Amino acid sequence: MKRLVILILVGAILLTGCWDKREINQLAFVQGLGIEKGKDDMIHLIVQILKPGLLATGGGGAGGTGGGSAVGKPYAVFQASGVDFAKAFSNLNDELPRSLFLQYNEIIFLDEKFARSGIYKTLDFMTRNPEFRRTAYILVVTGGNLQELFDLPSNEQLERYPYREVLGMIQNQQNTSSSYVCDLNEFIETLEIPKKAPITGRLEIVKKDGKAIGLRMVGSAVFNNDKLVGFLEEQDTKAVMTLKNKLKRSTLTLDKGLKSEKAHISFVVTKAHTDIIPKVKGKDISFDIKVNIETHMNEQESKYDLTEPKNLEKLQLLINDKIKQGIEHALFVLQKKYNADVVGFINILHQRNPKLWKEVEKDWDKIYPEVKFNVTVKSIVRRTGLTSKPIYPR
Amino acid sequence: MPHKLPDPQYVKENYQYMTLSKKLEENIYIFQVLLKGNNDIVFRQISIGDKKVKAFLVYVDGMVDKLLITRNILEPIMIETRKLNKIIYTNDQLFNYINEYFITTSEVNVKDKIGDIIDDLLSGETILLIDGVEKALIISTKGWEGRNIAESTTESYVRGPKESFVETLRINTSMLRRRIKHPDFVIENIKIGKYSKTDVSIAYVKSIADDTVVQEVKKRLKKVQIDGVIDSGYLEEFIEDNPFSPFPQIAHSEKPDKVTAEILEGKVAILVDGSPFVLIVPAVFVQFFQAAEDYYERYFLSSALRILRIAAMFIALLFPSIYIAETTFHQEMIPTQLAISIAAQREGVPFPALLEALFMEITFEILREAGIRLPMQVGQAVSIVGGLVVGQAAVQAGLVSPAMVIVVAMTGIASFSIPAYNVAITFRLLRFIIMIAAGTLGFFGIIMVVMMILAHMASLESFGVPYLSPLTPSRTQELSDVLIRIPWWAKILRPRTVQRKNIMRQEDTRG
Repeated sequence: MKRLVILILVGAILLTGCWDKREINQLAFVQGLGIEKGKDDMIHLIVQILKPGLLATGGGGAGGTGGGSAVGKPYAVFQASGVDFAKAFSNLNDELPRSLFLQYNEIIFLDEKFARSGIYKTLDFMTRNPEFRRTAYILVVTGGNLQELFDLPSNEQLERYPYREVLGMIQNQQNTSSSYVCDLNEFIETLEIPKKAPITGRLEIVKKDGKAIGLRMVGSAVFNNDKLVGFLEEQDTKAVMTLKNKLKRSTLTLDKGLKSEKAHISFVVTKAHTDIIPKVKGKDISFDIKVNIETHMNEQESKYDLTEPKNLEKLQLLINDKIKQGIEHALFVLQKKYNADVVGFINILHQRNPKLWKEVEKDWDKIYPEVKFNVTVKSIVRRTGLTSKPIYPR
Repeated sequence: MPHKLPDPQYVKENYQYMTLSKKLEENIYIFQVLLKGNNDIVFRQISIGDKKVKAFLVYVDGMVDKLLITRNILEPIMIETRKLNKIIYTNDQLFNYINEYFITTSEVNVKDKIGDIIDDLLSGETILLIDGVEKALIISTKGWEGRNIAESTTESYVRGPKESFVETLRINTSMLRRRIKHPDFVIENIKIGKYSKTDVSIAYVKSIADDTVVQEVKKRLKKVQIDGVIDSGYLEEFIEDNPFSPFPQIAHSEKPDKVTAEILEGKVAILVDGSPFVLIVPAVFVQFFQAAEDYYERYFLSSALRILRIAAMFIALLFPSIYIAETTFHQEMIPTQLAISIAAQREGVPFPALLEALFMEITFEILREAGIRLPMQVGQAVSIVGGLVVGQAAVQAGLVSPAMVIVVAMTGIASFSIPAYNVAITFRLLRFIIMIAAGTLGFFGIIMVVMMILAHMASLESFGVPYLSPLTPSRTQELSDVLIRIPWWAKILRPRTVQRKNIMRQEDTRG
C-alpha cells in the first residue's frame, strides 16, 4: 500500500512535467525584431528568423541535414500586422512552422515613424512577456525601412547576417562612444522617472543610388516620454554620455587655438567623471557641472614639444575648452530644441533638494529650457605615447 | 573385550562438544567418520620410540608444507625418539617430550576439543594424535600455493608503493605489520561462516582508534551468521549502517599503503581471508575522492587534481541531465551560437533529447559492461564496434546528434576519473534518475533529485560518523584535506571526525 502511494506520488510529479517541453530543433530563433507602423495605425512586426541548418556548416555534415554548402541566406524574414502587439505576434505565429523563440533576440529595431508615434504599447508587451530579454538593445532605424535593413546583402558585411552585424556594431561602440545605445531595462527605468527623457542609439541605413548598401551608428535618438523627438549628433552624444557618466572611451580632436594652423591633435579619453550639483538662488535654478577627464595623446600634427610641461598644460586648457563647448552645445540642443531632460537634472534635483523638487516637478517642462549651467572641466593628459618629442623631418 | 565405538550418527551431531578419548583407535574412528569421503585428508600412522607407541599424523594434502612435515615432525618423532629408550615414561609424558623437545616447527598448540581440532585441521594445520593421550598436538604447517604479491590492477599509481594485497590473510596482515611497527597495532582474529570458517582480522592501532568504533565493528561482525564468506564484499553488506542506500558506507582498498594510512588516522581495517580487498571503517563521502597518490605527489598538484576530480564528479552526475534540461526546457540558458549549432545538429533527429540521451547512455553502459567481462582478446573488438557504431554510425544515421555523443563521452570519461569504483557506479546509477527528472521537469527536476540525494547523504552514518563530515557537520580545520590537500608538515592533527582521543599526528616543529 505504502509503495503504491509512493509510486502514484512520483508518477504524479513526473507526469505533470513535460507540458512546457520544447525540443531545441522545434524553435524558431528570432534574432532581430523590428517594429514598424503599419496601415491604419496597426503594428507591423518584421522578424529575422535563423535557419540553424544553414548557419552551422563549419562542422561538415551537420546532423541529419547533411550540411553541404550553405546556399542562400541563413535566415528568413517574416512579417505580420495586428491591431496590437499581441495580435501581431499571434498573426506572426500563424505563418511559422516552429514556435517563436525570442530569448536570443538582443536587438529591438524601431522604425523612425513608429518611434515618433510612441512606443508605450511595445514596452508594455515586452515587459509583461517573460520571453523577451530585458537586456535587449533598442535602436531607432533611420534612412530606410526595416525590410531594407533585414535584406541587406551579406557580401557587404563581416558577419553572416545583418542582426549580428548590428550587434557587433553596438558592442564596438565602447571604443568610440559615438552612439549611446540603451537596453530595454534602462529605457523603462528612465521612463519611470518623471520628466526624465530616454535616449538610445540611432542606426542609419547607408544608401547608394537608392539601394541600401551598409549600416552606420550615428549619434542617438532623443525621446520625450515614449515618443521620439529628434536626434543628437555624435559630438552631442558624447557630451551627454559624459554627463551621464557613461563615457568609456572616445576620441577627442583639437583643431583650434593650436600653434600651427590647420593642424590637429587627437586624444583618447580614457576616463570621464562628472559631478552635477544643483544651485538654487531665489527662483533661479542652476547646475554646477564639474567634469574630470583623463586622456592620453594619440596623434599630433602641430609639433608641440611635450617634454616641456608648459606645452602640456596649454593643451590641457585647450581640451577643457573643447569639452566645455561640447557640453554646452549639447545642453543647448536638449534644452531649446527638444526640451528633453536626457541627463536627468530633475532626478538630481530630487535627490539633492526634494523640497524644491516638489515645487518644480510639475512645471519642469517650462523651467528646464531656462535652467543655467556652469560647466567647469578639468583634464589631464596622462600619457603622450611612445614618442615624447615630435618627429622632425629634415 | 573390544572397546565399543560410538554411533556415527551421534558423532556427526555432537562432535563440537566432544573431547578426545584416551583410545587412539576411537579418536581416529571419530575423525574418519567426520571426514569420510575426503581423499585429500591424509592419516599417517606412525610408531614412536622404542616402545612403539602408536600415533597418527593427520593433515590435509595441499594445504600443508610437506617438506616441513617431513623434516620437522616426522623425522624427529620417528628417528630421534629412539634415544628415549633409557627413560621410563608414560604416554602423557611422551606427548610432552614430543611437544617440547622433538617437534621443531615454530608454532605448536595443544587442544582436546574435537571441534577445534577439526577446524584447525581443515585450515591447514597438522594434527598429531598419540595413543593413550586425551590431547592432540596442533602443529602449524600451513603452506599452500597462493598468488604472489603483485602490482594492483584496480588501483594503480604513478608514484607510490606498488604492492597490493593478496588472497592469503597472513601475508596481508604481514604487509600491514611491516608498515606499523608499534605494539599498539592490534590484529584481532575471528572466524566467520558456518561452513567456510573464514578467518577475519580486525586491525587497528589501540592508542588511536576510537574504542566505540572498534567495539561496534566486533559486535557487528559477530552477528554475521552466514554459511560462507567468499569476499569482503559479503561482510560489507552485513555491517554497513544503511543497507538500502546506493552509497557505499564502507571503503575498501587493495593497497596496503592506503590501509595503513587510514589505520593511522584512527580507522579500523577488516581483512578477510581469501579477499585482497580490505574494508576500512568508518568511511566518509569525501574519502572516495582522495586517491592515495594525492599524499605522495606534491601537494600543489594533488590539490589541483582533487578539484578536478570533484568537477569530474559533477560532470559524471549531471552533465547529460543539464544537456537534456537545457535543450528541452531552458534553451535561453545556452549561449546563442551554441544553441544554434545544437539546433542544427538536432535537425532531423527523431527522438526527444531525453530518449536520445538514454539511448546513448545505455549503449555506453552496455559497452562498458561488455568490456569488463570479456576476455582481453575479444575486448578490442568490442571497443572497435562500440566506437564505430556509437560514435559514427549513430550520428550518420541521424539517430543521435553529435553533441549528444560528446556529452556521453565526457560523462563516461569523467566517471572514470573518480578514484573509488564503488562511488563511481553509484553515480552511474543516480545519473539515470536525474536524467529522467531532467527530461520531465527540467532544472526543477534536477534540483529536486539532487536535493533528495543530498538529504539522503546527510542522513547517512558510517559507524557513528556522519557520512558528509567534515563538510556537514562542518569542521573547518579538516576541510584542509577535502578539496585541497595541505602539505604534510602542516598536518599537525589527525582528522577528528573519526577519532578524538589521540589527535596529534606530529609534533608541531614550526616554532
